[in-house]
Amino acid sequence: MTEAVHLFGVRHHGPGSARSLLRALESLAPDCVLIEGPPDADELLPLAAKEGLEPPVALLVYRTDSPRHAVFYPFARYSPEWQAIQFALSRALPVRFIDLPQSARLRDESEAGAEGPSAGEDPPEARSDALAPIARAAGYDDPERWWDHLVESRSGKDAEVFRALRELMGAVRNEIDADPPLLERRREAFMRKSIRAAMSEGFQRIAVICGAYHTPALDPMPTAKADDAILKGLPKVKTAAAWVPWTYERLSYQSGYGAGVESPVWYELLWERRTARGAEWLSRAARLLREADAPISSAHVIEACRLAETLAAVRERPAATLAEYRDAAVAVLGDGSPTLMELIGRRWYFGSRLGTVPADFPAAPLVRDLAAEQGRLRLPPKADEKTHDLDLREPLDRERGSLLRRLRILGVEWAVPAAGGVRSRGTFHEVWRLRWQPEFAVALVEASRYGHTIAQAAIARIVEAAESARTLPELVERLEDVLFADLPEGVAPLVNGIRSRTAVATDVLQLLDALPPLVEVSRYGNVRGTDVAQVSEILAGLIPRLFIGVLPASIGIDEAAARLLWSKLKATHQALITLDDASYREGWLQVLERLSGSESIQALVRGYAARALYDAGRLETAQLEQLFGLALSTGADPTDAALWIEGLLSGNGAVLIHDDRLRGIVDRWLRSLSQEHFTQILPLLRRTFAEFPPAERRIIGGKFKGGAVAARDTEHSGDFDVAAARAVIPILKQIWGIGGDS
Amino acid sequence: MKAESSSIPVVQRRPGEQQFAEELSELAKVDSRQKPPRWNLSPWAVVSYILGGKLDNGFIVVPKYIGQRRLIEIAVATLATDRALLLLGLPGTAKSWVSEHLAAAISGDSTLLVQGTAGTAEEAIRYGWNYALLLAKGPSRDALVPSPVMRAMEEGTLVRLEELTRVPADVQDTLITILSEKTLPIPELASECRAVPGFNLIATANNKDRGVNEMSSALKRRFNTVILPPPETLEEEVSIVQMRVESLGRALELPAEAPALAEIRRIVTVFRELRDGKTADGKSKLKSPSGTLSTAEAIAVVSHGLALAGHFGDGTLSAHDIASGLIGAIVKDPVHDGVVWREYLETVVKDREGWKDLYRACRDHA
Repeated sequence: MTEAVHLFGVRHHGPGSARSLLRALESLAPDCVLIEGPPDADELLPLAAKEGLEPPVALLVYRTDSPRHAVFYPFARYSPEWQAIQFALSRALPVRFIDLPQSARLRDESEAGAEGPSAGEDPPEARSDALAPIARAAGYDDPERWWDHLVESRSGKDAEVFRALRELMGAVRNEIDADPPLLERRREAFMRKSIRAAMSEGFQRIAVICGAYHTPALDPMPTAKADDAILKGLPKVKTAAAWVPWTYERLSYQSGYGAGVESPVWYELLWERRTARGAEWLSRAARLLREADAPISSAHVIEACRLAETLAAVRERPAATLAEYRDAAVAVLGDGSPTLMELIGRRWYFGSRLGTVPADFPAAPLVRDLAAEQGRLRLPPKADEKTHDLDLREPLDRERGSLLRRLRILGVEWAVPAAGGVRSRGTFHEVWRLRWQPEFAVALVEASRYGHTIAQAAIARIVEAAESARTLPELVERLEDVLFADLPEGVAPLVNGIRSRTAVATDVLQLLDALPPLVEVSRYGNVRGTDVAQVSEILAGLIPRLFIGVLPASIGIDEAAARLLWSKLKATHQALITLDDASYREGWLQVLERLSGSESIQALVRGYAARALYDAGRLETAQLEQLFGLALSTGADPTDAALWIEGLLSGNGAVLIHDDRLRGIVDRWLRSLSQEHFTQILPLLRRTFAEFPPAERRIIGGKFKGGAVAARDTEHSGDFDVAAARAVIPILKQIWGIGGDS
Repeated sequence: MKAESSSIPVVQRRPGEQQFAEELSELAKVDSRQKPPRWNLSPWAVVSYILGGKLDNGFIVVPKYIGQRRLIEIAVATLATDRALLLLGLPGTAKSWVSEHLAAAISGDSTLLVQGTAGTAEEAIRYGWNYALLLAKGPSRDALVPSPVMRAMEEGTLVRLEELTRVPADVQDTLITILSEKTLPIPELASECRAVPGFNLIATANNKDRGVNEMSSALKRRFNTVILPPPETLEEEVSIVQMRVESLGRALELPAEAPALAEIRRIVTVFRELRDGKTADGKSKLKSPSGTLSTAEAIAVVSHGLALAGHFGDGTLSAHDIASGLIGAIVKDPVHDGVVWREYLETVVKDREGWKDLYRACRDHA
């Protein structure tokens, strides 16, 4: 290689590498800086010097025709690449990326789809594997740790380290990793090509910053012809790039991005602090522990520091590193047990830093619109999770709620309902948990094709969904988001979609599923001042269809299907009763009457219908008694009889305690049984009654005896797992020979 | 060495610094690293002594502790920072063993020892009086009887305190001044005993019955804590048992030859399975007996079996020789543990390949 090219092999996100690199660059005073990175983003490089771009940030490179195929190149402040860029920009030197462009790599579905959005890194295993034998030879079991000691934790005074690394990597690649995969060979060929281009432009001192792994391949260089041959015929797609905020958590290797940073926060300390790093590092742990109510004093921190330093001496290391600080923290702060440190582990090691990108940077208009909205509504993205309780009577909170819902429509799950549901605090409140994740950048770019503002895009997305959704509940689920996202233009297409699907829906279960959320929307919509007239229209179309469809759906079904139907009927009943519309209510009761009266209806459903009617006052005691006798008479199939009574009681024994008339019916019926019939029906009754809590059963028993039992329901009612008990019934049936499964 | 082994040893068990005197002197020869004040060896050499290894001059140091290296490093580093060391662990996790060898390697003397019990009095930690002298001459330094702790302070060596949490809480707290101020006031003489550099304390405690006498947080703060876990893997536990049985066998002059690894592995497997409450393949659940079933007990079972084999059998360890020890170690509560053991015998031992002899032997003993 000529004198003009100077190679600097680094580790991505290595503060020691960065420090050594800066020193080396200063003494070299290059006239051109070439960096391993995507040439697709060359135009964005000058922006790195702009005020307001705060690492951690990433370069997002994506296919313009299919933004889902995207790659991130993350940078921390202490990334050597970032420092090299800053060095070049501050001296107005030409700076370029020289890795194989993503336009040649984001090719087909299979390749990128399998990896998903990934970081622009060397395949981590390639480097680690290559270094492992050397690290082992040096007495380290973890190659990362070895590298840490050798390179990253150095004070960075010597530029010699780069020459040493190059020789080392040369040896590694000659001996161990002689045949890199095709992609690596192409990348290196492209790097060489870019270097040659810079040389031919006449630059005299070219600094090349790349992963240490690649240095041997760039010196000596093969012929230009050979490289052209490797690069020949590469496909090309259109790509675009943008700066996006990144988080420390994503820089760590626990999140699977292979950047090899055990603790980004520690590396930041290594970069920013020259002295008393350990004191600061352990004091941070102490602070976090105190927040978690652990009694940690400064004396603890002092002792932990001393132990860590002594430990480093015992291990014959020049300075304490993460491992020593962790061991010391466990022994001193955690009383020997790692549990306490695990409590704060994530926050201690990863922190919650989220980078920022100025609003005026080139970005998809949608992204800019979001940033503007976030600013206007004072809802900045944060990397750590925060719960927001929105009071919908306040205009600001209502708009915030709308924004969150719109983003959800676009597939950006920034907000998820808090535990206990989004409306756990009443009709005027919405409780959301907010946590910004860097990957949302991809979802936003992808959503850009729907429109230039969040509202526009959300509407377009709904329109598309209204046309393409397959099932009714899929659309109904969205309705709540759409109505409360304050998108009046989106409501009509969705409502039309729902209406047309209601008309053709053949599966009554889908209609049953759709009804309760629709009813809920129509009720809560009024509270919010949303126009829910269209929902009433849908209901007007849906409810009659439902009334017609339920009957046929209840005939000729087995127990499992009946149970499913039963649960949906209960929800529907609840919804229709609360809807408070006389005609719907009347229609529903008529449906129930037909359900309860026809022999052909599945017994469970029949029993339930009888109960619902009785509760609604449509069935007199005498009528119920008649149904009761009919269902449980000798001639009836015992299994049906058991199902009927289960449906009647609907898993609630309390009714037998409080409703004397109903108890009277059961009582009279029981007394009227012949001994044989009683013996026959007893196991079936047991099956129903066994599901009630013991305390309830005891009271029921006492009531039947005639004497009122003192209510002792404060007593523990037992942890009886009904589902588990049910599971053994088929086997017991076989053992006792009570017939098949039907 | 040879002459010694043919004659009857003077004591039943010699302290670590005598038993491994050769290792310690070999280590001292190659040890050129920096030593903390009054340490016989450098921290590096102490770690090597405990964990074993081959020295540069080819001498082989026997491992005293088999387990995580970092735990021993933390322990040694703690003592080097003059903070007191607290070793926590279940019974039989080699707490006392490690503390003895730390003291042997660092101070060359592991005999300064206070055994903590519910009856341990302040005198055992501070000082007592020779009452005859006290009455005859009044309070004087001559009439004072120093405790092991006080002697260690004067000589600048390590002192060991076993079962710290058994010691009543108020007695425990006498340690606070000693550990933080490194001084022991003697108000009767209007004087004090100041610790010489090199003084430090290793305490051990069982972290399962911590409730016995919970340490005050003021005292806890004076200690760095290292928890010694039960052996992680079967292999680790087997090698611990084998190593200890061999050295015990030598010490007790057992006539039987060293047991086959297979036999030890079988005993350790039984212990682990019952302790973990599931079979080694993780396929079936087992009841656990009331005892702790520590590695130390496994060692006892093997050496008991060796004694039986040597004195009454053919000199090789057989299933019959270990059966009685095994049952004795596992069945501590005749009712509950008896059921546990019989279940284990019938459901696991009986059907396991190659364990027929053990099954029969245990059945015969039942």
